[in-house]
Amino acid sequence: MVPELRRDRCRWQGLPTAVVALGVTWWLSTAVGRVAAHSGSLRGATRDPVAVPTWLFLLTGGGVVGVSFLLASFVTDRRLVAAIHDWARPLPAPGRIGRGLASALGVVVLAVTLGVGVAEDATGVRNLAVLVVWVAWWGGYVASTYLLGNSWPALNPFRTVAERLPTLDRPYPERLGAWPSVAGLLLLIWVEVTAPLADDAQLLATVLAGYTAVTLVGSVVFGPDRWFGSVDPLARAFRLYGRLAPLGVTDGRLRVRLPGSELPDTRLDDAGDVAFVVTLLFVTTYDGFVATGPWAAGVRAVADAGVPPLAVYFGAYLVGAGLFYLAYRAAARAGRVGAETYLSAGALARRFAPSLLPIAAGYHLAHNLGSVLVLAPTFVTVAAAPLSPPPSPPQLAGLPGWFGGLEFAFVLLGHLLAVWVAHATAYELFPSRLQAVRSQYGVTAVMVCYTMLSLWIVAEPYVAPPFIAS
Amino acid sequence: MTDTEPETHVPPDVTTHVCERCGRPFTDERYLALHRGLDHPSALSAAEREAFDTARTKEEEALQRFRLLALGGLVVLYFGFLMTYAVVT
Repeated sequence: MVPELRRDRCRWQGLPTAVVALGVTWWLSTAVGRVAAHSGSLRGATRDPVAVPTWLFLLTGGGVVGVSFLLASFVTDRRLVAAIHDWARPLPAPGRIGRGLASALGVVVLAVTLGVGVAEDATGVRNLAVLVVWVAWWGGYVASTYLLGNSWPALNPFRTVAERLPTLDRPYPERLGAWPSVAGLLLLIWVEVTAPLADDAQLLATVLAGYTAVTLVGSVVFGPDRWFGSVDPLARAFRLYGRLAPLGVTDGRLRVRLPGSELPDTRLDDAGDVAFVVTLLFVTTYDGFVATGPWAAGVRAVADAGVPPLAVYFGAYLVGAGLFYLAYRAAARAGRVGAETYLSAGALARRFAPSLLPIAAGYHLAHNLGSVLVLAPTFVTVAAAPLSPPPSPPQLAGLPGWFGGLEFAFVLLGHLLAVWVAHATAYELFPSRLQAVRSQYGVTAVMVCYTMLSLWIVAEPYVAPPFIAS
Repeated sequence: MTDTEPETHVPPDVTTHVCERCGRPFTDERYLALHRGLDHPSALSAAEREAFDTARTKEEEALQRFRLLALGGLVVLYFGFLMTYAVVT
């Protein structure tokens, strides 16, 4: 054992500060939860005794992330950090029957969704295809991949079908790395934002069929392992989210662990992998950003000048994605300078990128939980009679007022977990704990800016994006 | 588009302190001493152990200074927000 780890002084210094840090962080986050609730209810047009101006609300959000970084830096006991991240308990494996059932369920759901999407004329939430894709899968299932565990490898209907097809096993061009999945993710979200996929079930079925066709052709050419391992954006996103989840397979066994504790050990392969994580964050932001007032005003002004609106959307989409990636790379370079290390900026970017995943998950949950809850009764009713849905299927009448505060709390929890994961990653990377602290300056600055940007988007009143039919 | 950047990047014409066990380069002798003690603890010579202990003490002192600064930062942030909220709302 290392002499350092035997020192009692260290242990007693580490433990109370950790407890205090967690306590204060929790207190701060609940305080901001309250602030957020005020701001959230401003959106709901109800009067509140204390209204916080937006700039202060944003500053507070950024401040909480900065404070949590400072508090995390008080936890300097390596053994404590390692113990938190190594905690795991084995669980019984689901077995082959469980896997078989999950695969069959995935294929049946895909077939029903495609069938109903093509055959049923009902639009919007009266159509089971729309409900399956947007409520059950995009809202509920995606959340389960980071809240429970990544069950997509078992459930993935595209893979189940692809594995029964012959394969040409063409060599995958290694130099492309993970970049095709970045392009795939950008393309999928672009279609999601600009096409009326939540209304037009037939269009949704067409997109789904297109995705199925591309996926199957890809797996036949390169083999399912290679396709779902390198190219398919959904499989990659769920694999990454699964690293955050409390259930996961390590060393061939299903284990329960603390949420996020796998992330410091997650090694990304190349810059494409890093770009994928950053893009995952960006697409959530873009989705929200195009529904704000300033964007609507801006895009109208540019369109008045004669630029096609869709080109404005697309330009902002690509430029935004590029800026996010460059900002993150700059953060990695700043960390490299701060930490006085010979580790390359690329290596630091690869190691710290997984710490961004809790942020993406927090936003996903905040964006989608409300609509999943409201539309859950709709889903059950329509699923009971998919081909003759009731004229106005039931919905939850509304969510309680504190729900807005809960959404902000998810966003903040994601950020706090991200700060902690970056802290643990830095401790694994650097022999000196001061180096570890300094290496996080860049990433923390990016997180503070990103929090403020996203809180601004969430607090802005919803304005339907002009010129696109979503 | 080949993008697997190497793990380390050592600029030319700098003095490096390279770990003789795993080859990882460090910018400072103290970092190397800490690295040896943390990552290769089983095979330390007496001199290396002593270097590790010295580096640990130095690191502990520097951390202590950082803690004070961080505490100062927390106090500034806390009272800054307190005052701002008092004035604004």
